[in-house]
Amino acid sequence: MKKKIMLLAGLAFIILSSCTILKEYEKVNINDPDMALADRKIDKFQTTFQSYREAASGANGGKTGGGCGCN
Amino acid sequence: MKIILILLLTAAVFVLHAQENESGEYKKRVLENTEIDILFNYYEQDGENAAVTGGIGTEELTDISPTLIVAIPLNDDDVLTINANISAYTSASSSNINPFDGAQPADPFVASSGASKSDTWVNLIGSYSHSSDDRNRIWTSNVSVAAEYDYFSLGLGGSHTWLFNEKNTELSLNANIYFDSWSLIYPVELRPQGNDEPDEDDYLLDDEDDFYGNAFGTLVPGYDPSFTEHPDKGRNSYSIGLGFSQILSSKLIGYLSADFILQDGLLSTPYHRVYFSDKEDYFFQNFHLADDVERLPDSRFKIALGGRLNYFINHRVSLRTYYRFYTDDWGIASHTASIEVPVKITDKFTLYPSYRYYMQTAADYFAPYNQHLSSSEFYSSDYDLSEFSANNFGFGISYTDVFTKTKLGKFGLKSIDFKYNKYDRDTKFSASMFSFGVKFIIDSAI
Repeated sequence: MKKKIMLLAGLAFIILSSCTILKEYEKVNINDPDMALADRKIDKFQTTFQSYREAASGANGGKTGGGCGCN
Repeated sequence: MKIILILLLTAAVFVLHAQENESGEYKKRVLENTEIDILFNYYEQDGENAAVTGGIGTEELTDISPTLIVAIPLNDDDVLTINANISAYTSASSSNINPFDGAQPADPFVASSGASKSDTWVNLIGSYSHSSDDRNRIWTSNVSVAAEYDYFSLGLGGSHTWLFNEKNTELSLNANIYFDSWSLIYPVELRPQGNDEPDEDDYLLDDEDDFYGNAFGTLVPGYDPSFTEHPDKGRNSYSIGLGFSQILSSKLIGYLSADFILQDGLLSTPYHRVYFSDKEDYFFQNFHLADDVERLPDSRFKIALGGRLNYFINHRVSLRTYYRFYTDDWGIASHTASIEVPVKITDKFTLYPSYRYYMQTAADYFAPYNQHLSSSEFYSSDYDLSEFSANNFGFGISYTDVFTKTKLGKFGLKSIDFKYNKYDRDTKFSASMFSFGVKFIIDSAI
């Protein structure tokens, strides 16, 4: 577990140290709707189903709270 | 003509002035117009390891879920979002909480016509967000209520987001609390003894008091499970999440997240049967009578670490990737990886095929049908807690009109989405899902 966290932290450091700062007018590609970091709204059903059927899914939905999801 | 021009210019200056903040800078509205999302989902699943019948039996289930999401700009900085969900399901496995409907011999692979065969889950979420004048800080709070026949949940939450490095970096912190409560429903053969005298037709659903006597002790000689009710009806969940996103280049953006979740209270499902290998088996009709219900620890701590990396290949094709690692103190560890490749086939239509791989190890307390020992403290035969891997293939199509040219009264059509998902485990479980969504923009802000 400790190794994995170290690996993730190392990866994050490498990524961050290589990044540049873009001006708003340079973000045309990043602002493309297909580049959004959030899930599409239509994907909420898939996330709900996963939180019911998989023990490890779901941070705040399904079996974590907000409905038993036990059927 | 000049007068009209002057009037228009004056009006424009007035409007712009109204959108300036205290420091005199131009301030764009966080949300220009009210947005309405209407979503609909049809879901079906089948399998042979129902937890209600102790790890064997039909898992057939269908669910229909309409959802309405309305986002209303209250002023330049504040947005109120109302999210209303309904989920109406029919479940063969939960129908077998009471499998003795008298219509046919009870069997874990046959659905009963009892009251528990269907239910409706209703959920309402209200959230309020406020953005700072420079749009570099966002505060959000939310409250949620969810209810179904045997379950009620109240949730509260909030988040704070900071943007810096000219909005190239984003840091967020969120916290949520859920207070849930069960109405305890046990498998019919384990329900507490009532006052009525048992009789031969106690296995028929013709009397409210049926099964509340020790009917099965009379009908099946020797069957006398040592069952005790759960002492707790509540379940509390506390979660804290950290998010960090960074623009890495003009074509690459990444995101890291960490979620910490603590749950306490009744974490078992009260109508999940368990059968012990060191106890004699008792059957009535074709149905194995329960030795006990699922017993799980009253606390669980979960950690989930995730990462996203999206790459803009060209103006037609993007690449969206996701990875998540999960572990908890019940012995479950999991890896999830997914990829989606949106392809713009025209300026309005996008196809987005996707693939997701998921695997988990089993909980320490899981064993298949009839393999638990009665001497154990905790036990479950819920295959959602078993070791398995799963593949999910998805295919979506999206229509987007940024100018909302198609009008239905004051409603301008912004987008239409359709997606199909097929999910298969390496156990005997599979599911399909059809999702549909349409988004409207209302011309003038409320």
